[in-house]
Amino acid sequence: MIDWELVAKIAGGGFGIVILILAILSVLVWIVGLVVRRFTRKGKQESETKGRKD
Amino acid sequence: MVGLFETGFSALGWGHVLMLLIGGALVYVGIARKWEPLLLVPIGFTVILVNLPLGGLMEAEGELLRDGIPLGLIARIFHYGIQWEIIPPLIFLGLGAMTDFGPLIANPKTLLLGAAAQFGVYFVLFAALLLPWFDFGIKEACAIGIIGGADGPTTIYLTNKLAPELLSATAVSAYTYMAMVPLIQPPVIRLLTSKKERAIYMKPQLREVSQLEKLLFPFIVAIGIILIVPKSAPLIGCFMFGNLLQVSGVTDRLAKTASEAFMDILTILLGLSIGGIMTAERFLVPRTLAILALGLVAFTAATAFGVLAGKLMNLISKEPINPMIGAAGVSAVPMSARVVQRMGQQANPRNFLLMHAMGPNIAGVIGTATVAGVFLGMVG
Repeated sequence: MIDWELVAKIAGGGFGIVILILAILSVLVWIVGLVVRRFTRKGKQESETKGRKD
Repeated sequence: MVGLFETGFSALGWGHVLMLLIGGALVYVGIARKWEPLLLVPIGFTVILVNLPLGGLMEAEGELLRDGIPLGLIARIFHYGIQWEIIPPLIFLGLGAMTDFGPLIANPKTLLLGAAAQFGVYFVLFAALLLPWFDFGIKEACAIGIIGGADGPTTIYLTNKLAPELLSATAVSAYTYMAMVPLIQPPVIRLLTSKKERAIYMKPQLREVSQLEKLLFPFIVAIGIILIVPKSAPLIGCFMFGNLLQVSGVTDRLAKTASEAFMDILTILLGLSIGGIMTAERFLVPRTLAILALGLVAFTAATAFGVLAGKLMNLISKEPINPMIGAAGVSAVPMSARVVQRMGQQANPRNFLLMHAMGPNIAGVIGTATVAGVFLGMVG
């Protein structure tokens, strides 16, 4: 006898969790990318300015 | 020589002969067609070896798949490699060391395409439960559904945990259809997309990904996913650890070993293990045919949902997205990405979709391992 309630949980909840996790990950990766690029650019600009002063 | 010792002929039945032919066919497609040769050749040859009667390679005290004690050589390899859950996660480690997550980091929304393709897994879960005559239970349906993730090690890992008696059928189904991705996916993609959609141009260059981003990625994924789905830890943890070896910049030797020699050893052991359990009495049952059919449905459905998600993303995105890249959301790295690349160039020779398709392709691996963790958390 199949427990259809459990099946519904696995299908609905399970798939929902997977979508949610990967959506969260994609946002996290995007934010980290933004932050890293901003800092890298800032660092580059600072070193360029320092180079010009020298 | 009867009387001096027993020959195999006395015990040879039609089932053995059929399995010898199946083993031969696997070796043939591996060598002649070059379909997943690294796996199908060892699996096929092992199928032949274990179906030669009285060889004892898979001998066990009791039923091996139900806590039997392994006695034969391949039975031991299967027991300690697969039943102890060692080989599939370690293969993930090797895969991690081989994978460049750059395309995914450059375009993280492609993670959603990898997620959408997992719908094929759930679609077949239902299909297996609704299929009359075979009486698949929930655990078995989960093991069959995961074939749609197009990821061999995950399929083996999950089936071993949930429905070990189906292992030979699900593993062969996963690897055979992975090898047949270039045949399965194009008709589905053509059916769901217009020529205009297939010709959608995407800029070939993705942004450059810094070393720091690549270094942070395994930490983000491992911590993020394992905290939410702890049961995915063996697969996701090993996958990300392998990748860390590759991107750290100081463990090149380990990364090289993990992605080359170590991976080759594991592939041989995996081939021996999976071929080993394909004995006539386990494989030649009606359920195997049902699983092979459901596996094909799973691959087709996963491709279809990936493409549909690609179409949706194209509608809502500012930048044009070729919906075909959604088809690469089934794992099958890198075959499905190559299929998309080839079809993209056929529709528009200016298009170079490989890098765009690699994002969902790798996301598919993460997605399938996550689905496996979710299944284990719910019914394991």
